[in-house]
Amino acid sequence: MTTTIFPRILTVRIQPALAVASIVGALVATAMALLWAPPDANQGEVQRIMYVHVPSAWLAYLAFVVVFLASVGWLWSRRPVFDAVAVASAEIGVLFTGLALVSGSIWAKPTWGVWWTWEPRLITTAVMFVMYVGYLLLRSLSTDMDRRATRAAVVGIVAVLNVPIVHLSVTWMNALHQLPTVLRAGGAPAIDERMLATLIVGVVAFTLLYAWMLLARVSIERQRQERVMREQA
Amino acid sequence: MLRRVLLVAGREARADRRQADGLVAAITFMAVLVLLLSLVVGPHVARERGVAPALFWVALLFAAVITAQRSFERELADDALDGVLALPGGRDALYAGKLLAIAGSLAAVALIGGLLQLVFLDLDVALPGHLAIAAALGVAALPPIVVLDVVLTLRLRARAALVPILALPVLLPQLVAGTNAVTAAIAGDEPTAVAWSLLILAFGVIYTVLGLTIVPTAIE
Repeated sequence: MTTTIFPRILTVRIQPALAVASIVGALVATAMALLWAPPDANQGEVQRIMYVHVPSAWLAYLAFVVVFLASVGWLWSRRPVFDAVAVASAEIGVLFTGLALVSGSIWAKPTWGVWWTWEPRLITTAVMFVMYVGYLLLRSLSTDMDRRATRAAVVGIVAVLNVPIVHLSVTWMNALHQLPTVLRAGGAPAIDERMLATLIVGVVAFTLLYAWMLLARVSIERQRQERVMREQA
Repeated sequence: MLRRVLLVAGREARADRRQADGLVAAITFMAVLVLLLSLVVGPHVARERGVAPALFWVALLFAAVITAQRSFERELADDALDGVLALPGGRDALYAGKLLAIAGSLAAVALIGGLLQLVFLDLDVALPGHLAIAAALGVAALPPIVVLDVVLTLRLRARAALVPILALPVLLPQLVAGTNAVTAAIAGDEPTAVAWSLLILAFGVIYTVLGLTIVPTAIE
C-alpha cells in the first residue's frame, strides 16, 4: 500500500481557520434567518426552516459527489488519503441527509399536514440516505484496509447516480415538493432578495462547516490508517 | 473475450442443470410470494392497477439476489473462483459471464412467476408484446447491480443481509420503471409502456457499462 502523509499545514493552520470561519458563518446565517429575512407571504414563520433544510440538502449532494471523486481517486491511484476522504465525506453526507429529512419533516407537518408523505423527492432522498448507510455498513464489515477501500469505492461510484435523481425527481414526476427555486432552468431565482441572500450565506456557512468537519475526520482517519499499517508492518 | 464470457456463462448453465437448487429456490420463492399476496390482501386488491406488477418486480429482484448468491457460493465451495480469476481476462469474463447466466435464470423465473400471476389473478393483458419486452429488459437490467453487490460482499460475514441493503436502493429506478411499464402494458397504454421500458433500458445500459468498467477491479 502506498502511504501519503496528511499535510500538517491542513491540520495546524487551515483546520482552525475553517473552524472559526464556519462558526462565524453559522452565527451570521442564524441572525439573518431569524431577524433579517422576511417571513414568507403564504407559509409565515415556518418557512425559516428552509435556511437549515436547503443548505443541509446541498451538503448532502456535495458530500456524496466528493465520495464519488475520492472513490475514483482510490481505484485510480490506491492512495489511502482518497479512502480517508471518501469515508469522511460519506459520514458527513449521511449526517446532513438525515438533517435534511428531519428538517423537511418538521416543515411538512404545519405546511402539508403530515410528517411524511410518499412523494418522489422524499422517497429518493430517503433512498439516498439508506444507500450511504449501506456504504458505511459495508465498510464496517470489512477488516482488510485495501479490500474495504476497494469495495467501498465501487459502491461510492455507483451510488452517486442517485444524486441527480434526487435533484431532478421534482421535475420528472408529479411532486408535492416545490420545484427548484434558485437553481431553476431558464430563469432568475424566484425568491425575495433578502431571502436569497440569507440562503446564500447559509449555504456558504454550511459548506465551511463541511470543509472543517471533513478535514478533522480525514485527519483522524489518516492517523488510524497509519497505525494499522504500522501494526501490519 | 466474448469466447471467455460465453465459456463462463455456459459453465454456469451446466452447473445449474446439474445442481439446480438456486434456480428452484428462486422460482419457488416467486411462486410463494404470488400465492401469499393473493391470500393476504385478497384477490380483488391483488388485481388492482399496479399491485401485481409491483409484486412481480420486487419478487424478481429477490429472486435475482438468491440466484446470484447461490451462483457465487458454488464457486467458493469448490474453490473454482480462483481458477477462473487466474485466467487472462478472467475477472472481466467472470462478471460478464455471470451477468449472462443469471439473466438467463431470471428469464425462467420471470416467465414462470409471470404466468402464475396471470393465471391466479386472472389478469387480462391488453399489450402482451409490450409486457414481454418490459419483462425482458428488466431481466437484463437487474443482474448488473445484483452481481456487483454479491461480488463486493463475497467473503463478508453478513453478505446475505448486505446484498439486498446495497442493491434495493440502487435498483429503485428499475423497479419503478418496470412496475409502470407492466401496468401500462396490462392497461393498454402503449406510449407509457414504451417510455418506461426505455427507462429500464437506459438504466440497464448505464449499470452494465459501469459494472464492466469497475467491478473486475473489485473481485478478490
